[in-house]
Amino acid sequence: MKTNKMTKPNPDLAIQAQGLTKSYGKIQALEGIDLEVKYGEIFGFLGPNGAGKTTTIRCLLDMIRPDGGIAYLLGINPQENPVKVQTMTGYLPGEMQFYDNLTAEGQLRFFSDMRNGRSDWSYVCNLADQLDLDLKQPIKNLSKGNKQKIGVIQALMHKPDLLLLDEPTSGLDPLMQQKVLVLLREFNRQGTTIFFSSHVMSEVENVAQRVAIIRAGKIIEIAETESLTHRTLNRFIVRFKQKIDISQISRLEGVSILSQNGSDQIKFQTTGDIQKVIQTLGTLPVQDLETEHPSLEEIFLTYYQ
Amino acid sequence: MKGLLTTLRYTFMNLRGQILGWGLGVGLYGIMIVQMFETMAAQQGQLQKMIANYPKEFLAFFGGDANSIMTPSGYLHMYAFSMLPIIISIFSILVGSGMIVSDEERGRLDLIIAHPVGRSAFFFGRFLGVVAAILTMLLIGWIGFSLLLGKSSLGVNVGQMLVPFISLFVQILFYVAITLLLSVLLPSRTLAAVVGGVIVVSSYMISSLAFMDDILMTISKIMPYHYFQTVLEVNDLNLTWLFSLLGISILMVILAWLRFLRRDIRLSGEGSWKLRFSINPKRA
Repeated sequence: MKTNKMTKPNPDLAIQAQGLTKSYGKIQALEGIDLEVKYGEIFGFLGPNGAGKTTTIRCLLDMIRPDGGIAYLLGINPQENPVKVQTMTGYLPGEMQFYDNLTAEGQLRFFSDMRNGRSDWSYVCNLADQLDLDLKQPIKNLSKGNKQKIGVIQALMHKPDLLLLDEPTSGLDPLMQQKVLVLLREFNRQGTTIFFSSHVMSEVENVAQRVAIIRAGKIIEIAETESLTHRTLNRFIVRFKQKIDISQISRLEGVSILSQNGSDQIKFQTTGDIQKVIQTLGTLPVQDLETEHPSLEEIFLTYYQ
Repeated sequence: MKGLLTTLRYTFMNLRGQILGWGLGVGLYGIMIVQMFETMAAQQGQLQKMIANYPKEFLAFFGGDANSIMTPSGYLHMYAFSMLPIIISIFSILVGSGMIVSDEERGRLDLIIAHPVGRSAFFFGRFLGVVAAILTMLLIGWIGFSLLLGKSSLGVNVGQMLVPFISLFVQILFYVAITLLLSVLLPSRTLAAVVGGVIVVSSYMISSLAFMDDILMTISKIMPYHYFQTVLEVNDLNLTWLFSLLGISILMVILAWLRFLRRDIRLSGEGSWKLRFSINPKRA
């Protein structure tokens, strides 16, 4: 690592990363990632494919070595003591492959053995029941969704302090997605910190308390999920008593007109200062005003437009 | 330590099919070879006459000559042990090149290494599992070779039969080590296996034909097969050769381990690493 400004871990943070950089040849995958995830938090990590979500998680777990920067998980530098970090964390990769010659039970027993048999097997069976997974099925006969369930169970089976999940509901049907999210909330209630990447906005919106948005290897936004949905993007539908000059609104900073019905009704959104919009509307003959709270998905898309 | 033992156990268990397959294959071949000696001995005169007419290059490939063919070590060398290192090298190349990289290329290593085992414990667990598999396979083979010795006029006891297996073990270990090292250095397992195969075949051919040419003789001295010994007494073993080959194998394993400690773990679908010294004309 080239830069190590942060010499001591912050005891309040479960994940702490500063200036993480990683390149693959000429491709810069991470360009200085700074992250702080508090203990007991559910933290969503949003970004499109290739943005650097998986690379960040794999750097945090010492699968790949960053070119620069430093990270601490649960107060431990994963490069200095990866085994201690791995003992206390559960990891679910985005892409999983298992041994096809094993059954689901055989595969999970293998993972349990790799954790020195620390997992309570009755608890593993309980998790399998909750996720409707038949442990006796050979891996080669399992669907992608059922393989994902094995991944989820192996991440949770030892009741870790920290969960790093790369797209945890990928491949699951909507009902099972909900079950997994319920499980994650349950773990969080019991004190587990959860860091999960996704490009499914609705699940991040439902589960995460805070969210970071990554684009092209850079964190472009970190905020509380609720404030992000309320703060960043506001949408208005306004009907006027008479025809007006719409340019009075469209020229405001951050405003984009979404639709227009004659000159007396418009739908627009703003990523700028809402105060200026309200002031401008106050000077106009407004008959009716509706506001919409866009979903996180819509907000997310504004970062990529 | 527990992580290492768990990895060792699983590695050994995963190889059980290959251990049985190769072990029984070598063992059955041994039974056949020992049994066949009686027939050969009965036709010794004719056989020696026939062998004397063979081109010496042909005989060299089987490591024999007309004079030594009916001695126990000459017979065993020509009909069994000259070829066993080459035959079993297929197993060595597959196991050595796949020891780490097979799981990596199939996308399994990422999740395995996320468990609290540690890269060193994982690496040596895998390696010792492979060593245990080789030893078990050779044990089954040795039992096969020894089974009918009591009824044979070969004049070799089970203890003497063990000696060529020691040299065979070191040969196999060398090929495992070199393909393991190649697999963590080269872009893909396939390339490591191909290079390993070229080394094995060229080693066999050059060492076998070395007597014909001084240059070949010089080259053969850097080939592992040159140091394979079919002797039946421990005292006849060239221990310098044996331990040098063993030492080089251990050195290659250590280099592979150091490389594995420092490298990134690939994901399935990421393709292969680029060779650091490869030239891309578009970028040049």
